[in-house]
Amino acid sequence: MRRIWKIYKLLAAQNLKRLMEYRADFLTGAISFLIDQAIGIAFIFIIFTQIPQLAGFTFEQILFIYGFSQIPKGLDHLLTDNLWCVGYFIVRKGDFDKYLIRPINPLFHVIAETFQVDAIGELVVGIVLLIYAAPNAGLHITVWTVILSIIAVPFAALIYTSLKIMTSAFAFWMKSSGFIIQMVYGMNEFSKYPVTIYSFPVRIFVTYIIPFAFTGYYPSLYILTESDPLFNIGGVIVVSVVLFAVSLLIWNKGISSYESAGA
Amino acid sequence: MNKLMRRYVPFAKAGVQSLIIYRLNFIGFVVGGLIYCFVMFYLWRAVFDSNGGGAFLGFSMTDMVVYLFLSNTTSQLIFSDVSNDIGQEIRDGSIVMRLLKPVNTDLSYMFAELGAIVMKLVVLLIPMIVGLEIYRFCTAGVVMFNIVNFLLYLLSAVLAYIISFRVNLCFGFIAFYVKNLWGIGILKNSIIGFLSGSLIPLAFMPDGLRICLEYLPFASMSYTPVMIYMGKYGVYEIIFRIGLQILWAVLLYGLSKLIWFGAIKKLCVQGG
Repeated sequence: MRRIWKIYKLLAAQNLKRLMEYRADFLTGAISFLIDQAIGIAFIFIIFTQIPQLAGFTFEQILFIYGFSQIPKGLDHLLTDNLWCVGYFIVRKGDFDKYLIRPINPLFHVIAETFQVDAIGELVVGIVLLIYAAPNAGLHITVWTVILSIIAVPFAALIYTSLKIMTSAFAFWMKSSGFIIQMVYGMNEFSKYPVTIYSFPVRIFVTYIIPFAFTGYYPSLYILTESDPLFNIGGVIVVSVVLFAVSLLIWNKGISSYESAGA
Repeated sequence: MNKLMRRYVPFAKAGVQSLIIYRLNFIGFVVGGLIYCFVMFYLWRAVFDSNGGGAFLGFSMTDMVVYLFLSNTTSQLIFSDVSNDIGQEIRDGSIVMRLLKPVNTDLSYMFAELGAIVMKLVVLLIPMIVGLEIYRFCTAGVVMFNIVNFLLYLLSAVLAYIISFRVNLCFGFIAFYVKNLWGIGILKNSIIGFLSGSLIPLAFMPDGLRICLEYLPFASMSYTPVMIYMGKYGVYEIIFRIGLQILWAVLLYGLSKLIWFGAIKKLCVQGG
């Protein structure tokens, strides 16, 4: 464990050096995500100039859900961005060999290699929205709701990570799986708004199949209403752990069928 | 004319081929767009319900569905990735090969994309139009398809592509200064998405902002054609909007040329 931590620190330091070297790049990335977020919020704002409530939620409550959903997303983006590259080109070009010949776990190595600071855009927006929306959203702030919703965040991020591990692992069989990652990851759009607006089949889909609803709506519903912690918070933990186990299984199976590229 | 075709058709063929080879990425892109449309569909349905179910700023729910799906399809149809291509070529020096050929640089980029656009027209736009018309027929009970509006839509979409291409060309030259092309790509897409009204119909924006955006070139890139298709504009308004598109196409043509001549003198390829 100590060794792993040490390696992680070394790799992260490498990343920070690169960051210092290409400061303009970092700024472009972070500002891009920030603007992307700002537009999402402008959208909600424009809707609420016309209606007082959306599916029974006020403006501040919708912002709170939106903000909460961005924090696990940003956390995953910060730590595991390299999985995209596995799906898009690392396997296809045969570069995955590198991870297999080193005496550390390949999945850990892939993840530790990149520290994606662009994610600051999502994290900052998420936190600012929570702070802005919290006073007027009618939150039930008790010791329990605060502790449980903080606990939910890393597990919610694990849902993102597991889905990325799973879909990027398809590249071991298909050479390139970027488009599958893109498709599955793209469904996180569903996590930004209350699931009650979706029709029944969609609701089941985003709760149990591609469970993005657990990364935003359910945990925020708990802190908004203090209802059903077993499902709203327990669900996040159970779903993420199960999904993570399945994704590791697929990943390991994938590695055993990995064939390097010719060249 | 014949000579021109002989020179540029191979670029178009290469464009079609690369779309076919990377078809899975293309499908991923299309499905991603559709997922987004569905999320927006549910969101708007909730908005309409919260609003009492009636029309919302002159849009009925049926209008909204047509708008959402058609503006998404239009954006994909006229999507230009030339900024990324130029950026890559400047970065790795392969732009030199393009400059050496006896072809017009802009046209060679454009024809490669035209090939892909013809493909998208067949596999994307036509099924979408048929689907939307069936939907409109089911909800309204009458055929609402208007051939004149459709043809005007196509004309407006061609102009939209030219504008989109020129805007992209200008963005591509940012690669001379910034290395994070991927970040620029995200920035470009979200700015265009917002300003062109493909995320939120410009009609819903606060008046001052709406009027500004309607005159900017971005609105010409998907809002104008879609509004024409939906029959939201009268005859004079259509003439005015298409005129505005032509004006922007010409202005942006000049601007991109100007930047290009400035930038090409600075081009410095290392190694190559």
